[in-house]
Amino acid sequence: MKSSILKINEEVAFVLHSIPWRETSQIVEVFTKNYGRIPLIAKGSKRPRSPIRGLLQPFQPLRISWSGNNELRTLRNAEWIGGIPQLSGSYIYSGFYLNELLIRLLPRDDPHQLLFEKYYTTIQSLSYKDKIEPVLRSLELTILKELGYSPLLTHDGESDTPIIPDKKYIFDFEKGLIQSRTDSENRVQFSGKTLLDLSNNDFTDTTTLTESKLLMRILLNQCLGDKDLQTRRVLQELPLL
Amino acid sequence: MPDSKKSSLLDELVEALRCLPSVGPRSAQRMAFHLLQHDRHGALKLSTVLSDALNNIHHCQQCNNFTEALICDLCSSTSRDDSVLCVVESPADLLMMEHTLAYKGMYFVLMGKISPLDGIGPQEIGLPRLIKRVENSAIKEIIIATNFTVEGEATSHAIHEILKPFNIKISRIARGVPVGGELEYVDSGTLAQAIIERREAQF
Repeated sequence: MKSSILKINEEVAFVLHSIPWRETSQIVEVFTKNYGRIPLIAKGSKRPRSPIRGLLQPFQPLRISWSGNNELRTLRNAEWIGGIPQLSGSYIYSGFYLNELLIRLLPRDDPHQLLFEKYYTTIQSLSYKDKIEPVLRSLELTILKELGYSPLLTHDGESDTPIIPDKKYIFDFEKGLIQSRTDSENRVQFSGKTLLDLSNNDFTDTTTLTESKLLMRILLNQCLGDKDLQTRRVLQELPLL
Repeated sequence: MPDSKKSSLLDELVEALRCLPSVGPRSAQRMAFHLLQHDRHGALKLSTVLSDALNNIHHCQQCNNFTEALICDLCSSTSRDDSVLCVVESPADLLMMEHTLAYKGMYFVLMGKISPLDGIGPQEIGLPRLIKRVENSAIKEIIIATNFTVEGEATSHAIHEILKPFNIKISRIARGVPVGGELEYVDSGTLAQAIIERREAQF
């Protein structure tokens, strides 16, 4: 048992989401480099003259300090780091999607430095309007890998032989990626090249891009369970109007 | 608490008052006692006005703002420029815009902002009504005046996308260093964005 209040200073973090709390405060879900995802209460941050009122926005790297031993810790200070222009247009929606993925899949207080670094560069790519699909696929794969939900992409999950580029594979919930047989014709098939490209983070091929989107969707849905992502629903609604 | 004799109606009143923003159990209790003990007249007035307001105030058919009439005063005014439409998030934003005396056009109040993580999409805010407002109208320019928060920007993008087919000019209010602002004291985020979104000097 710790007798003193734990204080963390100047940790690099991103706001994932915030909800209003009382009149002038908000509860901010942040993703930090060394402490993972944690909830913080930002007291008085909704006051008109609060110095951090405009600061606690998603997609901007911040240097934050907090204290507390309970699950909900108290934000003491936040500083702007900069270097990432604000996301614009449809890139904002991609950002929302990534944030929802992290909130849904990443357990609280579970540090993932590598995933954090990847998230940082991903937000950077989105702000510089890089091609959206490869950026999203790459982060999705990192999330799955870091949380241990990614099947082996280089070897057949059944025979343990290396994946062959011009063979077809299917995803099996227990065995992982296995070579397609005649009886698996009605299952979603992935070419060996796609799997190898994915393992090399290479999305230059358009078939790889389309197929990996399908594979990521299957793998992520397996982790998400029955509750679909809110951001997916909203995104589908947009062009319908 | 020694309040075993508290009548259930009083409990109900206290509980009902708690629906007001920043009113906790203590303040709600104080308000209830005050109304019952010291200001029964004021309480009666409050109750009738509140129920009148709830029965008669609804959304303006044109701008979506609160009004008693079918179409609000601002929308039916003949002295305003009906070729420009300014889209704001809330009635408070509309009042702020009016306060500037810089704008003489029409308004559309969204009554919210898109926030996918809270499950609020284009349908939940008034976007389908905005399309109806723009259809068959004399509007030549839309000014998007949603907040410069991430949600406000997302909303702005959605508005831009759905109004693109109408082939009217769509503009966004500018952001940057405030009037009377000194660079030394402006926050870094604002200054950074002001540099990114700089414009050609025109005098």
